[in-house]
Amino acid sequence: MTVARAARTGAVLLAGVLLLTACGSGSSGTSAGGTGKEPITLTVDLFGSFGYKQAGLYEKYEKLNPGITIKETDTEDEADYWKALQTRLAGGGGLADVQGIEVGRISSVVQRQSDKFEDLGAFGAKKLEKDFAEGKWSAATTADGRILGLGTDVGPEALCYRSDLLEKAGLPTDRDELAEKWSTWDGYLDLGRQYKKKAPKGSRWIDSVGSLYSIMTGQEEERYYDSSGELIHTSNPAVKKAWDTAVDAAEDGLSAELDQWSPEWNQAFSSGSFATIPCPSWMLSYIKGQVGEKGAGTWDVAKLPEGAGNWGGSYLSVPKGAKHPKEAFELVKWLTAEEQQAELFTEQGLFPSNLGAIDRVRKYEDPYFSRAPIGEIFGAAAEQAPVQVLGVHDGDIHQQFTNALSEVEKKGTPSMRAWDNAVKGVDNVLG
Amino acid sequence: MTVLAPPPRSGAPAKDTAAGRPSRPSRSTGAGRQHHGGRLAHAILIVAVLFSAFPFYWTIVAATRSNADLAQTPPSLLPGPNLLPNIRAVLEEADIGKALLNSLIVSGSVTVGTVLCSTLAGFAFAKLRFRGRGALLAVTVGTMMIPPQLGVIPLFMMIAELQWVNQLQAVILPGLVSAFGVFFMRQYLVQSLPDELIEAGRVDGASTARIFWSIVVPVARPGMAVLGMLTFMASWNDFFWPIVALSSQEPTVQVALRQLGGGYVNDQSVIMAGTLLGTLPVLLVFGLLGRQIVGGIMQGAVKG
Amino acid sequence: MTLHATAPPAVRTRAERRARARRRLTPYAYVAPFFALFAAFGLFPLLYTAYVSLYRVELQTPGEMEWRGLDNYTALLGDEFFWTALRNTFTIGVISTVPQLLMALGLAHLLNYRLRARAFYRVAMLLPYATSVAAATLVFAQLFGRDFGLINWVLGLAGIHPVDWQSGTWSSQIAVSTIVIWRWTGYNTLIYLAGMQSVPAELYEAAAIDGASRRQQFLHVTLPGLRPTIVFTVVVSTIGATQLFGEPLLYEGKITGGISHQYQTLGLYMYEQGWGYFHLGRAAAIAWVMFSLIVLLVGVNAALARRRKLQEASR
Repeated sequence: MTVARAARTGAVLLAGVLLLTACGSGSSGTSAGGTGKEPITLTVDLFGSFGYKQAGLYEKYEKLNPGITIKETDTEDEADYWKALQTRLAGGGGLADVQGIEVGRISSVVQRQSDKFEDLGAFGAKKLEKDFAEGKWSAATTADGRILGLGTDVGPEALCYRSDLLEKAGLPTDRDELAEKWSTWDGYLDLGRQYKKKAPKGSRWIDSVGSLYSIMTGQEEERYYDSSGELIHTSNPAVKKAWDTAVDAAEDGLSAELDQWSPEWNQAFSSGSFATIPCPSWMLSYIKGQVGEKGAGTWDVAKLPEGAGNWGGSYLSVPKGAKHPKEAFELVKWLTAEEQQAELFTEQGLFPSNLGAIDRVRKYEDPYFSRAPIGEIFGAAAEQAPVQVLGVHDGDIHQQFTNALSEVEKKGTPSMRAWDNAVKGVDNVLG
Repeated sequence: MTVLAPPPRSGAPAKDTAAGRPSRPSRSTGAGRQHHGGRLAHAILIVAVLFSAFPFYWTIVAATRSNADLAQTPPSLLPGPNLLPNIRAVLEEADIGKALLNSLIVSGSVTVGTVLCSTLAGFAFAKLRFRGRGALLAVTVGTMMIPPQLGVIPLFMMIAELQWVNQLQAVILPGLVSAFGVFFMRQYLVQSLPDELIEAGRVDGASTARIFWSIVVPVARPGMAVLGMLTFMASWNDFFWPIVALSSQEPTVQVALRQLGGGYVNDQSVIMAGTLLGTLPVLLVFGLLGRQIVGGIMQGAVKG
Repeated sequence: MTLHATAPPAVRTRAERRARARRRLTPYAYVAPFFALFAAFGLFPLLYTAYVSLYRVELQTPGEMEWRGLDNYTALLGDEFFWTALRNTFTIGVISTVPQLLMALGLAHLLNYRLRARAFYRVAMLLPYATSVAAATLVFAQLFGRDFGLINWVLGLAGIHPVDWQSGTWSSQIAVSTIVIWRWTGYNTLIYLAGMQSVPAELYEAAAIDGASRRQQFLHVTLPGLRPTIVFTVVVSTIGATQLFGEPLLYEGKITGGISHQYQTLGLYMYEQGWGYFHLGRAAAIAWVMFSLIVLLVGVNAALARRRKLQEASR
């Protein structure tokens, strides 16, 4: 093939591309006016897994509301999603009718960008207040009472464990007995030290000390910010306690030293590298996905030491740039209503923030997790979990601490130095 | 070194002496070309080729296995039966089809635009006389040093202002600026377009535009083809700006791959299947035009 | 001539002038598309970055710009993460560039022999160049896995303890550099090969007549002849190393470049500040520092090359 021939081939290819470009730009302006009975398309932009599509909720809504079509786009990584959402809010264009907001970001929205979202109170959201858990509701409400989002799921915390591995190590496997033994975090670590002595080869007590730290800080009302919005990450005794406990676990070799969300961590679910993992309710479906059917019955769920906590959860909001704000609100209202939230829990493991839904699922037991009464465990946790104060940079600050703890467990960095690194990292985040 | 070593006429195979082979008249300018490569040379080259090729092979192996297979010791080194399920999973996680199409649109448009702009400007710099030519050429060459990251922030603010975030033109238009292309085409035309041809055209009364289309472009075509291939590959693989300007809703292949590797897709074999899908088109182009690309790079190296 | 003189002079000069003006302006029309695009998408952003770097600007509130003067720059001087990133950029640059160019030189030398399957070798070695940073990094990230990576498995066969290719400073930098080396060695090999082939054969013949061995020929004919090419590749690799971004970002998919920033490069640090934490002003300052660094390095390179040349000439 000569160069000239190559050029010709290239030219043909490119001509095709240009044609495609023409087609592509021609079809981009599709959106109906949305007045009266004209059919409209609602766009929903989410991150991670909200499970609406999988649970068939859109189809149901479309059937209930003829003329409405729902189109969902989804970004797997929340950090990416947040970046894209911020840039579009700054630019004012390309926003969907409904945008998902992670709980760690909601205070950033409430404090910095409340003018960029619709006040759902204007559509009558106020009378929904009694339906939702109080903390969930207040976090998305501005000081002057504007409602910027409705709560979807929450992340009440528990401990998931491999009963088969515990049995091999000669430890109790009953969830109530365990909950009693690890009624304190010290008790939990003690049990870990016992496990270590007789554990199957290559198996540790917990996946990573970062997850231990995360779950413990999730039990506090104040984590990195106090209720006036001041940073307290260096002075908060609760942060320090969680840190020290995590360091203890690392130094005693209780951790499998796996970064959460890393490929190794994913693979370790089935290989049995760890016996327990702190699990917010959404972690359950993650475990099922990782381990598959062959692991059914090997996992169980027990109550958390030292009270309840929350990790994660989300909101649905309507940005000012939405084309159909009214219809978008109706959809949000429906998706966060009792029936739908209850269904999402049983189908997708996403625990409801809607009080009615919490009652509905109270009796639910999960066959995969040895028929653990997860409706009751998580329900109690959701009710008892403190309403956490979240600040503007909460998620990024948290990342600095878990990174520093990874240094402790993986590189043997002394606790003091790692702590300094975390604090410096926080300064870097704040800029 | 002034003493002439008598060339060994016969016997002792001259392994180390260059004069060892009176052999064929070396036509080519090539340096060691008069030597044949020995077995050792082949052995080393084969090792290098294996180093180059192994990651591709591994991609195929991993893409056809399951996540559990990959978490085994010893690892499986042969392809397995899981390609289709993995690809199906990829298509659920990231819209690779759309990404491929977008990448084709972006790279195609960038290639056409860049080659055109570069040929126009390269022709002017090579063959037309105008005030400020030297200075403008110097500026052009100087901009090759600017790191792409430098302009990203205002560029982003611009496209945000224009509401182009997440739209392909946000990636296409900045992609058209190629100082390298201009310089490349200038060098090419300086060397391969004789002034007499242009003079002849002028004598015939042809306008500059006429001269450009009917004299310059035909001569420039091979150079344009080379530039086109290099631009296409560079644009296809461009990473920094697309991940800033686009998101997974309107991804190019690289954006989609970044999404797959972002840590939330928890199946390694699926990630590898995505990588395979995203790389296949370039590999196909490379398979078809590999020798031309090799030639183009070497040509560019000598001229640049 | 007399014929011409009879023509009305005014009309003729006007037409002529117009034609001349047109001819004088035409060239600008040819460079205009490039320079228009360059002005909009190259020059303007460049200058505007300098402007932004003097302010505190947050991506979430781009309208609120707060004058900071040179504070963004002076803050970098006291910023430990900046220095870490600078150091990492340098060490990764050296680990990835030096072996890469040396190998490329050796391979080019071999490819310059009369060889069977020459074309095959060339194309095969250039293959990595055709893959994207993203694809290459994802594959290597897996090969370098701590628990189930192929590389640790092979090391294990040799009796070596598994290496944590993610958390260790050197190990992670070597891993990231390997990706760079893999992608660019073949390309540089071809560049060197082209340079070698443009060394005139007579020089070799003369050297051969002088009785120079292959090795001596390589040292005294090939390398000096290759000097401009080597300078070119060193400059290009230096620029590439300074801008390194995709590999460290995708290696673990973290904007921090590892749990202790151990392989975070300047490019990635800029991305973290700008698009991780939304501090656009600071990110702009980092961008300008990178630019200055490149200009400085290229300048040093050029100066060195020039000095060598002068020395050679005066010898």
